[in-house]
Amino acid sequence: MPRADFITGLGLILLSLYVIVESWRMPRLEHLKIHPLSAPGIVPAFIGGVLLIFGLILTLRSIKQKGYRIKITGRGLRELLAHSGNQRLLLTAILSIGYAGFLIGNLSYGLATGLYIFLFITLFEWKQETMLRQRWKGLMMAIIIAMISSVAITLVFERLFLVTLP
Amino acid sequence: MNMAGLIDNLSRFLGAIGGFLTPMALFHMAWATLLGIIIGALPGLTATMGIALITTLTYKLPPDLAILVLICVYVGAIYGGSRTAILINIPGTPANAATTLDGFPLAMQGLAGRAMGVATSGSVLGSFIGMFFLATIAPILGNYALKFQSFEFFWLSIFGIVISGHLTALEDQIKGWISGFLGLLVAMVGQEGIHAYERFTYGTTELLGGFALIPAMVGAFGFAEVLSVMRNPPAKRAEAPRDSVFPKASDVLQYWRTIIRSGLIGTLIGIIPGVGEDIGAWVSYAAARRKSKEREKFGKGSIEGLMAAETGNNAVVPGAIIPALTLAIPGSAPAAVLLAAMFIHGLRPGPLIMVESPQFVYQVVAMVFFATLAIFFYGVGLSKPLLKVLAIPKTRLMPIVFVLCAVGSYAITNRTFDIWVMIGFGILGYILREMKYPMAPLVLGIILGDLMDKNLRRGLVLTDGDLTPFFTRPICFVLWVITFSSILLSISPIRHALKETFSIIQTRLRRIRK
Repeated sequence: MPRADFITGLGLILLSLYVIVESWRMPRLEHLKIHPLSAPGIVPAFIGGVLLIFGLILTLRSIKQKGYRIKITGRGLRELLAHSGNQRLLLTAILSIGYAGFLIGNLSYGLATGLYIFLFITLFEWKQETMLRQRWKGLMMAIIIAMISSVAITLVFERLFLVTLP
Repeated sequence: MNMAGLIDNLSRFLGAIGGFLTPMALFHMAWATLLGIIIGALPGLTATMGIALITTLTYKLPPDLAILVLICVYVGAIYGGSRTAILINIPGTPANAATTLDGFPLAMQGLAGRAMGVATSGSVLGSFIGMFFLATIAPILGNYALKFQSFEFFWLSIFGIVISGHLTALEDQIKGWISGFLGLLVAMVGQEGIHAYERFTYGTTELLGGFALIPAMVGAFGFAEVLSVMRNPPAKRAEAPRDSVFPKASDVLQYWRTIIRSGLIGTLIGIIPGVGEDIGAWVSYAAARRKSKEREKFGKGSIEGLMAAETGNNAVVPGAIIPALTLAIPGSAPAAVLLAAMFIHGLRPGPLIMVESPQFVYQVVAMVFFATLAIFFYGVGLSKPLLKVLAIPKTRLMPIVFVLCAVGSYAITNRTFDIWVMIGFGILGYILREMKYPMAPLVLGIILGDLMDKNLRRGLVLTDGDLTPFFTRPICFVLWVITFSSILLSISPIRHALKETFSIIQTRLRRIRK
């Protein structure tokens, strides 16, 4: 954790400095004859100042715990990617961002949703089963769940609760 | 409160009860509570996520039915989490973490049914205690809040962030505060509320109104949770208990003191901004252990410990609604979504609630009442069949949850931009959570940002830059003293110095007495 805190601390310092500078650059709206203490930059600057203090504390604390010793090696990265949990995380993120960010809007909603659910179930469950018969059974199940879910979600949201779908 | 006032309030409550005795309201109550219990019971689906997702379904419902649905989901989810906590030692929601300590050992002793009965009675009684205080405190606090000025609202927002950060990150408070102030910073994006200047929008029209709360919450609690659940290995499968799940009157009668104490603690924790059900359960559990005659049983299957945790977390629910209704400051993360949903439905929670729509406060009390009755019904009648839902593999459930996250983010304003907001907050939420930054202060910060922004500047303009009223007005004084004490006490050299000073004073006092 000290290493993560060190990086976060530095990130916070940079962010807060950026916020303070941006707040300072915000107009004081003198031409509107407003009270100078109601200028738009006052509160963001205050928040930036507080975050700067927190960032400094976090960084100094992590330096004390030797958090600055960060080594990025090819082996370390390979180990990180080989971890089954991280693989599952990455696959989930890719599938989900791909669905919400790109499939929706480019395909019809029902089709995009069905495709996403099918791919998600198949890609995760295919590896879990070792028997070919079980895998085919899983595949059929994924198709059925994908079809039922996309139809049910479309009907429930659009017809029953009158919600506009993407 | 005088007798006439009491009768007036009681008649409003009874009127609200009568108003919900329609087939449509009962239908919504039934499905929403059941769904809430299922959401709570499934590890990875939290109450906050549940309310955020179900809010989408309520857009076209009348406001009273919409809030009824969300409160039923809320109460149901906090109760539902006890099922998995008892049966597989995994809290269904973070609120049920303390439940595992004694619930699971009881299940291991073959008393899973009794443990589930205790959880049912604790949750029901906790909700009723919280409901009583919601009905009595909310009107008083609402009327009192009418006296608040900019100075008080500024301190209330800082107090909320600091206390929420302190209590939700007990191991490392600075992370709680960072989370809260990051939330405040997020709230600065968009047109500010006094001169309509566009801050941090970079010419993007989508950012003019700032980040919408629902997509942000769906991301931080929904998508982040999907990522987290999929990263972890699959959970064990729950088996149905063999003994009866019907709550025993003897358990309630034997531990009535614990129930009342935990109900009070839960309600109080609920009232504190942005703290929430998990802390309510832990504090109630710790208090019960300290006062118990059978302390040695705690952690090994204590009925009293389980009762305390489950009473405490459910009492937080009505408690957290009190500041949400009267100050527009949520007491917990799920209450934050509830508050956002109230605004979406055109309701105006805040200090004016008792002036503009006092009846609504009693409607909310009635909603909690019905939701509590429903969890009792499901707890007694459907506990065993409901466990079948827990058998759904996460590989089949999580894609559907994410589909709902996408719909939930999009449906509020029909903008694809909000789907990206959800994704962004999901990734941010996941990273922050992995690094032990609590989410509740972040959400509270997003909600309180506007309140703090307007009131700090208004206050400064009113006094022409003089800071004295910010520190000398009575409520401000109390709020800043608590806020700064909380910060100072978390700095270990100061804490140690204070401890030493107190121990020296104690020893000297003892010597003087001798």
